[in-house]
Amino acid sequence: MADLHRADVLVSCRHGRTPELVTALRDEIERRGLAEEIRVVETGCSGFCSVGPVITVRPEGHFYASVQPADVPELVEETLVKGRFVQRLAYKEAAGRKAITRYEDLPFYAKQMRIVLRNCGMIDPRSIDEYIAVGGYEALGKVLTSMTPDEVIAEIKKSGLRGRGGAGFHAGRKWEATRRAKGDIKYVIANGDEGDPGAFMDRALMEGDPHAIIEGMIIASYAVGSHQGYIYVRDEYPLAVENLTLAIQAAREYGLLGEDILGSGHSFDIRIVRGAGAFVCGESSALMQSLEGKVGEPRAKHVHATDRGLFDRPSCLNNVETLANVPQIILNGADWFASIGTERSKGTKAFCLVGKVRNPGLIEVPMGMTLKQIVNDIGGGPPKFRKVKAVQTGGPSGGCIPASMLDIPVDYESLTEAGSMMGSGGMIVLDDRTCMVDISRYFLEFLKEESCGKCAPCREGIKRMLEILVAMTNGTAKAGDLERLETLAKTVQTASLCGLGKSAPNPVLSTIRYFREEYEQHIKDGYCASGACRELTAYVIVDEKCKGCGLCIKVCPQEGISGEQKQPHYIDQAVCIKCGACYDVCRLDAIKIVPKAAVSLGGNGGNGHGTPAATPAKDKPGAAKGKA
Amino acid sequence: MAKITITIDGKPIQTEEGQTILEVCRKNNIYIPTLCYHPVLEPYGACRLCTVEVTRHGWPSLHTACTHPAWDGLVVRTNTAEVRAVRKTLMELFLSRTPNVPLIQEMAAEYGVTEPSYPVEDPNEKCILCGLCVRVCNDMVKAHVLNFSSRGVDRKVGPPFMEKTRECIGCGACTIVCPTGAIEIVLQKNAIYAAKPLGPTAAIYVPSLQAVPRVPVIDTDSCIRFRQRDRSNGEIEDACGACQMLCEANAIDFTQQDEILELNVGAIVVATGFQMWDSTKLSQYSYGKSPNIITALEFERLSNAAGPTGGQILTADGVKPERVAIIHCVGSRDKNPNAHEYCSRICCMYSLKQAHLVRDKTHAEVYEFYMDMRAFGKGYEEFYERVQEEGVVMVRGRGAEVQVLPSGKLRVTGEDANLGKLVAVDVDMVVLSSAIEPPADAQKIAQLFGLSRTPDGWFAEAHPKLKPVETNTDGVFLAGAAQGPKDVPDTVAHAGAAASMAVALLNRGEVTISPQVAVVDEKFCSACKTCLNICPYAAISFIVEDNVARVNEALCKGCGTCVATCPAGAITGKHFTDDQIMAQIEGLFRVPELVEA
Amino acid sequence: MPKLKSLDELRELRSRLKHEIKARTETATTITVGMGTCGIAAGAREVMQAFLDELSARQIDAHVVTTGCIGMCSKEPLVDIQQGNEPRITYGNVSPAMVPRIIEEHLIGGKVVQEWAVGRLVKEA
Repeated sequence: MADLHRADVLVSCRHGRTPELVTALRDEIERRGLAEEIRVVETGCSGFCSVGPVITVRPEGHFYASVQPADVPELVEETLVKGRFVQRLAYKEAAGRKAITRYEDLPFYAKQMRIVLRNCGMIDPRSIDEYIAVGGYEALGKVLTSMTPDEVIAEIKKSGLRGRGGAGFHAGRKWEATRRAKGDIKYVIANGDEGDPGAFMDRALMEGDPHAIIEGMIIASYAVGSHQGYIYVRDEYPLAVENLTLAIQAAREYGLLGEDILGSGHSFDIRIVRGAGAFVCGESSALMQSLEGKVGEPRAKHVHATDRGLFDRPSCLNNVETLANVPQIILNGADWFASIGTERSKGTKAFCLVGKVRNPGLIEVPMGMTLKQIVNDIGGGPPKFRKVKAVQTGGPSGGCIPASMLDIPVDYESLTEAGSMMGSGGMIVLDDRTCMVDISRYFLEFLKEESCGKCAPCREGIKRMLEILVAMTNGTAKAGDLERLETLAKTVQTASLCGLGKSAPNPVLSTIRYFREEYEQHIKDGYCASGACRELTAYVIVDEKCKGCGLCIKVCPQEGISGEQKQPHYIDQAVCIKCGACYDVCRLDAIKIVPKAAVSLGGNGGNGHGTPAATPAKDKPGAAKGKA
Repeated sequence: MAKITITIDGKPIQTEEGQTILEVCRKNNIYIPTLCYHPVLEPYGACRLCTVEVTRHGWPSLHTACTHPAWDGLVVRTNTAEVRAVRKTLMELFLSRTPNVPLIQEMAAEYGVTEPSYPVEDPNEKCILCGLCVRVCNDMVKAHVLNFSSRGVDRKVGPPFMEKTRECIGCGACTIVCPTGAIEIVLQKNAIYAAKPLGPTAAIYVPSLQAVPRVPVIDTDSCIRFRQRDRSNGEIEDACGACQMLCEANAIDFTQQDEILELNVGAIVVATGFQMWDSTKLSQYSYGKSPNIITALEFERLSNAAGPTGGQILTADGVKPERVAIIHCVGSRDKNPNAHEYCSRICCMYSLKQAHLVRDKTHAEVYEFYMDMRAFGKGYEEFYERVQEEGVVMVRGRGAEVQVLPSGKLRVTGEDANLGKLVAVDVDMVVLSSAIEPPADAQKIAQLFGLSRTPDGWFAEAHPKLKPVETNTDGVFLAGAAQGPKDVPDTVAHAGAAASMAVALLNRGEVTISPQVAVVDEKFCSACKTCLNICPYAAISFIVEDNVARVNEALCKGCGTCVATCPAGAITGKHFTDDQIMAQIEGLFRVPELVEA
Repeated sequence: MPKLKSLDELRELRSRLKHEIKARTETATTITVGMGTCGIAAGAREVMQAFLDELSARQIDAHVVTTGCIGMCSKEPLVDIQQGNEPRITYGNVSPAMVPRIIEEHLIGGKVVQEWAVGRLVKEA
C-alpha cells in the first residue's frame, strides 16, 4: 500500500443513508483498484445540513451535495479516475442559478469563521492520528512544557473567552477561582448536555472533533490543578459517546491522558458520564447532582461550584465548545483570539441556524456579525415568497428578536438587551407564517415537559402560563389574560430556583415586548393573522384575484377546493383543515387568512366562496364580525 | 465563629457567621412565610415563599432566605412591594393547586388571595410538593421510602412505584413534617392494639408526669435512630437525630447506656406496686380471642387523648361501639386456683368511671356486671349514683362467660341475682376489670430485703394495725400497693407515712442497736451457707474472698436461728454463748450455800 | 501504541502523520496527472503511482491530482507541475522511470527538466 494517498474522499453528515453511501464508495473504489491511492474518510458534521450527505474530494476541493448511493459509480469514474467534476451533483444556490463546485467557493462557508468547528468535516474524528497530524495536542505540549498554570489562566483571561453554554461567564475567571479554591481534589467537567430543540452544535463537536474537547480539558486540568475530569453527555447522542470514548482510549494509549502526561509530571484522566436526557441537567448544579448519581435537580448556588461543586469539591465546569476553543487560543495566542469579535464578546460562536432559511445548518461566525448577515448571507435568506418575521435565539430559554432589529450584532450583551440570550446557540428563523403566540406556546410546552418540578414558580407557573397561551391560541382567552400572563411570567422569572425557570418566561416576555398587538388580536378579535392558530382562522379565496389556475386544487390534501378552470375557485370550509398549503402555493395572493368567526360553516362553499363580507380583501377582521 | 452584622428591614443585627438569612430572621422574630423549610432539614428552596430582597454591593435582587447565607454587610428587606407581589403570585399558584388545605387558605388570605386564580384540577389535592417528607425520610430517617417520581407538572411523592413497601418503618416522621396534612398513617385493621400493648407513643418522653428528675428518656424500641441501627445491623448509625439538632442545651446523648448504681442508704421504701393479673387464666372470659375484649388498663390507653385513636373509643374495626359490657371482679374474689380470693379494691370505682366515659364519648349502651358495688371512699357513693343516672345498666351478678359469636359480636352471660334469672347481652366491646396481683418477682424482693409475705402474696407489714408501713427488717418500709391493693388516695397516704418513717429514721443520725447479735467464729465456718438462707432478716452474707459467712450487726436481731442451725457450731449469739447459757443454768440449779451469819 | 513521553515525541509523531492527511492540507506543489482514457491507456496510472511512491519515500510536500484529457493525446501521459506562483510546466510522454529525475531536479532543485517539458503555462493574471 502506498504510504501517500492521492486523494481523500470526505463524507460528512449523519444522514440516514451515509453508511450505505460510504460502503458503496469503498466498494466502488476497491472494484476500480483505487484503494491504494484513494481513501474514504468519514468525518463529523460539516454543518451544511440542508444538502447532506455531503462529499468533498481533497485536494481538489470538489464539493458534492445530497449524494445518493446510486450516484457513486459515476462519481468515482468521473472524479476519482478521470479527475472531472460531475456537474449533476453540484450544489446550486437556487434553481437555475450557477452551480458551485468547490468547497472554498460556497457562500455558506465563505462567510463563516471556523475555529471550534475547523476539524468538523475535515478529519476522521475516530483517528487520533489525524487530529495530531493537523496540529492536535500541540497546544497541550506547549502548556505542559513552557507555561505555568498561572500563565495559562492569564492567557485565557486575556483572550476574553466566555462560556459558550449561554451565560457567558469568563472562562479564565472560572479557572482562576477553581485554582484558588482550597482542596486537594478538584474536578474539570465538560458540559455536553445539549437539550435545546433544534440545537446540535455540541453534538456535532463531540462527534466531529472529540480530541479538541479532550485537549481543552487537559489544559484546563493543568491550569486549575485537577486530576480527574468528567464529560457529561446525553445518552441520546450515542455517536458522541462512542467517538468520545474512542478518543479517550486513544489519548490514554498515547499517554496524553493518565499519569505523567508528556513527561510533565501532570496527571489527568477523564470519565464519560451519560445523562438520561433531562433538559435541566444542562444546568450546572443539576448536572453535578446527576454526576453524583442523584436525581438531576438544581440546587441554590450561593456558593460557587468553583469552591464547592461536584462531591462538594472545587469544580470547573465548562461547555464543550468553550473547551474546544482553548487549544487554539494557546496555539495562536490570546491576542489573536481577542482580535476576533466585539469589545466584550471575543472569538466565534457556533450556531444552529434552523427554521425558515434556505440553508439551515451548523455554522460558526465571529461574534458581532449581525443577525441579518447570518440569516441572509449564510442562511441564504427565507424561502421564496416569505419574509423573515423574527429570529429566535437561545433555545427555549431565549427570546424572539423581530425582523426590525436584525441589525443587532450577535454577542452576549446585545442579545440579552434585546430580551433574548446567546444560550447555547440555537437560532430559529421565523417567517410571516409563524404566529408569535403559538411559538411561545410551543416553547412553554417544551419547558413544561422539561421543568424538573422542584420549585413551585417554575412547575406551577409554566403550567399556568401555558394554560393561558393555549386559551389564546384556541380562542377561549378572556380580557385581562395578557396582563395575568405578564405578571405570572415576571414572577416565574424572579422567583424560580435555577436558570431554567428564570429564563423560561423569556419566549413569552420577548414576544409580548415586540408583538404585543398580535397577542391582543388573538384575545380581542379571536384572529391569528399568520394562520398558525387553526382554531381562529379560515382560508378564503378572493374572487377578484383568483384566475382559476388550479394550483391550490392540486395541493389541497382534503380535496376541499373546487372551481372551473379560469373561474374563481372556492374553499369548502366544512372540510378545510387549515393546513395553509393553498395559501403557500398561490402566486396571485388570492387566498386570504380571515378570522374564523367571519365565515359560516354551513353548506358546500357558502361564504367560503369569495370573500366573507360584501367587500373583498378584508384586512380588518373586525369588520367581518357581524356575520358570525 | 466570626461575628457579622446584617441589616434586616432597616435593623442592624449582630449574629454569627454560618447561618442562612432565614435562620437569622427566625432567631430575631422576623416573620417570613415558608412551606418547604424545617429547622432540622437541609434548606431546599422549592416553595420560594421566603423570597426576600437582598442587597449586596449595592445591587438589590430577590433570593430565597432559606438558602441565602447571611454574609456580613448584607441588607435584607423582607416585605417590599416586589417581594409581596412574588409571594402573592406564588400563593395564587398554591391555592389553585390545593384549594381546600386550610393552611394554604390562611397563608393565601394574608396576601389577599381568597379564591383559586387558575382552574382547579383536583379539589382534594393536598400535596404541594415541598419535599419535606422526602427529605425527612431520606436524610433523617434514612429509610429511603419516599421520593419524587416523574418530572415537572407530573411530579408526585410516594414510595417506589407507588406500591406498599416493607422499607417503611412506620415512624410517622413524614406526617409530622407535612405542612398540609397530605400524608396519613393508616393503621391496618386490628393494628390499633397490635403494635404494642398500649399502642404507640412518642419515642422521647418524660417517663411519668411526676418523674424526678424531670428528664425525658428515649425509648430505643421506638426511636428511629435506634430502630434503624437495629434493622440495618449497625450499618445506619446516624439516622434522624432531630432531637439532638434541636436541643439547645445539647443534652441529647445517644451513647448513654443503662447502668447499675450502687448507693449506700440509711432507709429503703419498697414501693414495687402491682401487676395486672393475666386475664387468659380464666378461659370463660375469652380474653385474647377477640380484639374487642380488652382489659381495663387497655381501655385506659384507648380512651387516652395521646392514645392510638386520639382518645376516641373505637372497636378494632375503627367504629364506635353500640353496646359495651364491663365485667367486674375478673380474677378477684374467686376461689378458682387460677384467680385471687381477695378483692382488688380499685376496680369498682374505675369501672364506674369507664362506664361514664363510654356513655360520654359514644352514647353506647353500657352493661356493668358486678357482684357488690364497693364505693366506700369519700364521694364515691355519689359518683355511683350519678353513673346510674346516666343510664348505665347495672346487672348484679358476676359475668359468667364471654362468647365470641361468628359475627364477631360478643355475648356476655351471667346471673342477675336481683332478678334471679340468667341474662345474656350481645355487645361490641367487653372491658374486663381484671384483678391486680403482686409483681411476679415479689419473692426475690422479699428475700433481698428480708420481708415476709401474706398468703395472698403481698408484702407483710410489721403489724396490721399499729405498724402498717414498717416491716420486720429495720429501716425497710412499705408503700402503696406493694403492701396490698390500694387506690390512689390510699396509696398516697400510705406512701406519705412510709416516707415519714424513713425520714424519722434518717433524722436520728445515729441509732442504738441491741448488742445481742450473732457472730461467726470464722475459724470454724465451713462455708456451707446454710445460715444464709435461714436468716429471716437477711443479715448474713457470704464473703467470697475469705470463704466465710459474716453477720451484719446492724441487721441482726439476735434471734439465734443461725446459732442453732450452724452445723459446725461456728455461730454464737453474743451474750448468749453456750458457756453463758450453761452458766446461767448452772446458776439456776445451784443450791445457795448458807452463809454463816 | 507507544506512549508519548515528551513534546518532542509528539512533534515527531506529527511529522510522520502529516502525510496521512496531506490531501487535506495546503501544499506549495501540485502534480496533475492526465487521466483521460488516452492517459490511462498510455500508462498514466503507473506514472501516478510512481509519483506517489517517490513523494512518499522522500517525504515531499506535494499534492497529486488527476485531470481528464487535455487534448494533447499524442503526448500522454502528461504531467503538470505547479509550484507556488511559478509557471505551470507540462511534461509529456512521462514514464515511471522519469519520475525520480523530475522530482529531484524540478521539485527539489527548482530547475525544469527542459528536454522533457512540452510547455509552460503562465498564470493568467
